[in-house]
Amino acid sequence: MHLRRHSLPSLVLAALACASVLAAPDEPLPKAEQILDKFVEVTGGKAAYEKVHNEKFTGTFEFVGKGIKGTITSYRAEPNKSVAIVELEGVGTLQEGTDGTIAWETSSLQGPRIKQGDERAVSLREATLRAPIYWRKLYKHAETVGAETIGGQPCYKIMLTPEEGKPETQYYDKKSSLMLKLMMTITGPMGEIPAETLLSDYKEDAGLLQPHKVQQKAMEQEFLITIDHVEYNVDMPSDRFDLPADVKALTSKKE
Amino acid sequence: MSRLLPLQAAASVVAVALAGTTALCGQDSSTGRARPLSSDERKLNLESFEFIWSTIRDQYWDPTFGGLNWTAIRDELRPAIERAATTGQARQVMRQMIDRLGKSHFGIIPADVYSDLDEREQATGTATAGLDVRVLEGKAIVTSVEEGSSAATRGVHPGWEILSVDGTSITPVLRRIAGLDGNSTMLELHLTRAVLAKLSGAAGTDVRVEFLDGAGRRVIKQIERSEPPGAVARFGYLPPMHVWFRSRRLGDAGYIAFNLFLDPARLMPEFGDALKSFAGSPGVMIDLRGNPGGLGIMALGMAGWFIDKPNERLGTMHTRQAPLKFTVNPRQPTYTGRVAFLVDGCSASTSEIFAGGMKDLGRARVFGTRTAGAALPSAIDRLPNGDGFQHALADYISEGGRPLEGVGVIPDVEVKLTREALLAGRDAVVDAAIEWIHTRK
Repeated sequence: MHLRRHSLPSLVLAALACASVLAAPDEPLPKAEQILDKFVEVTGGKAAYEKVHNEKFTGTFEFVGKGIKGTITSYRAEPNKSVAIVELEGVGTLQEGTDGTIAWETSSLQGPRIKQGDERAVSLREATLRAPIYWRKLYKHAETVGAETIGGQPCYKIMLTPEEGKPETQYYDKKSSLMLKLMMTITGPMGEIPAETLLSDYKEDAGLLQPHKVQQKAMEQEFLITIDHVEYNVDMPSDRFDLPADVKALTSKKE
Repeated sequence: MSRLLPLQAAASVVAVALAGTTALCGQDSSTGRARPLSSDERKLNLESFEFIWSTIRDQYWDPTFGGLNWTAIRDELRPAIERAATTGQARQVMRQMIDRLGKSHFGIIPADVYSDLDEREQATGTATAGLDVRVLEGKAIVTSVEEGSSAATRGVHPGWEILSVDGTSITPVLRRIAGLDGNSTMLELHLTRAVLAKLSGAAGTDVRVEFLDGAGRRVIKQIERSEPPGAVARFGYLPPMHVWFRSRRLGDAGYIAFNLFLDPARLMPEFGDALKSFAGSPGVMIDLRGNPGGLGIMALGMAGWFIDKPNERLGTMHTRQAPLKFTVNPRQPTYTGRVAFLVDGCSASTSEIFAGGMKDLGRARVFGTRTAGAALPSAIDRLPNGDGFQHALADYISEGGRPLEGVGVIPDVEVKLTREALLAGRDAVVDAAIEWIHTRK
């Protein structure tokens, strides 16, 4: 993480961060790191994050107004292992994940595939457990670029540039310090898909605040993910993050 | 953990939904209930009209609407929807609006379709007479008879001409449609559907069909309608439909046919298994005649079995926001034999994306007649009045650089079915494909 150097003394910055809730429109913007660190604080604090070694959540998918529904189950474990299983009505199962090195997806629709380049980088980043406290490692640059109102809430707008992959824009509520919106470009074999994600319905699960409602708009379509249940430090089988057999076959072939 | 969500997985799901494309909808000719509407119903129709207008305004891929003044069209038709006294009249006005775009994959699905289906545990589909039909040189000709159907039991044969259905002559119907649609690539699709619609009805009911048999005699058969073959599949607000898949060997070549690109959890493994069973064969035929499409992404998944190089594309879908590449993911083991697609004017949408893209990649040869030219990725929303609204979201350009909409896939080898060949038990399109498969490279 190589943050831009600022000349203001850290004490002044800290004061600015505290005052941000009440900041007037013409007041200077707080630095991105203050906003991101504040987010860690209001969502439970570093100590609470550090207690988490793995997580599981279950939820539902709904394409708004399209009659297409499904379920999602996601597992993550430190440092950056993940598996997400999406069951979509009328389609079947789509899975994606990473063992921390190889990022993959597989489905009966398209078969197995190993992700490369930016797409792999995003997968590894998304798989990072306790990501909010590691933002300095995950992004090489973070900058507050403005203020906007999201859903009636005045927000700070932050641009985050990862080591690999496209920049992301995040919006943090001035009042609650929670992230309310994320804009990113999802890169994959089908091209670059700009996606806008709204986060809401923050609830506490074992000392950590998480958004339980997520609306994503991409390619003129909107879907809603509702998180029903979040668990931390659950018993996970040791092979939970092993590559599926069809993905493993691709890696063997490559070798 | 601000990232509870695997956003990439979500993107894959978006792609699945976006790529949904079928020419099945928008064919309804019902005019709706004739009873006068209540003020609440009028309000819902008005809201539906506005929903359609604004959805097209916001999502139609061409912001110039092909030169149409979209606001002026709304202003022109708004008084008509306000005056509409019946559901049928309201639907007519809404159809009038979307017809101005002159594109496939725009249509209204009457609410009755959903309410009827919701009332039954098992979706009905529409019971059929067990016959497939094409209109050849202005005549409705039986092209296949479903094994075990009432029609088969009563001795109906491919090649027989249908003269009338329940006492109504077919010829005037066909002439009327040909008069309206004469220049459209979708003419064959519309003609065929018109005949099949007359033959279909409730399961267990009879339909009285007058044929001209192989010997040129007029024969009348009372045929009992039954549920179509296959299992019922649902996807979003598409009406539930029966989906079947068949594969077999024709000599040493493989043959695969399926009626829709739906029910991927079942069809995709069946497709892969069939190809594996044909490993080592000189070629395979994929018969998409009469297949109106379905989930576009299934074409990509199927193409993966034939292509061993990464980053090959069937084509590109152009939305207003960004292009979406139909990139094929190679699958193992690659089928290495020749690939022949069999198509006709009733092959539409995903069928065209699959056959056209594989042809453009030089991986397949296409046999038959020009496809329907109805290949726009679309979605279906429910309107405030309960109707379904199918709307295209994107233009689609095949990998060869040509649009499929309004053009279709032009076969490499044009082969037309004839009554004579069908009566002789021959399928000229299959014959031509087999001959090519056996031609030395």
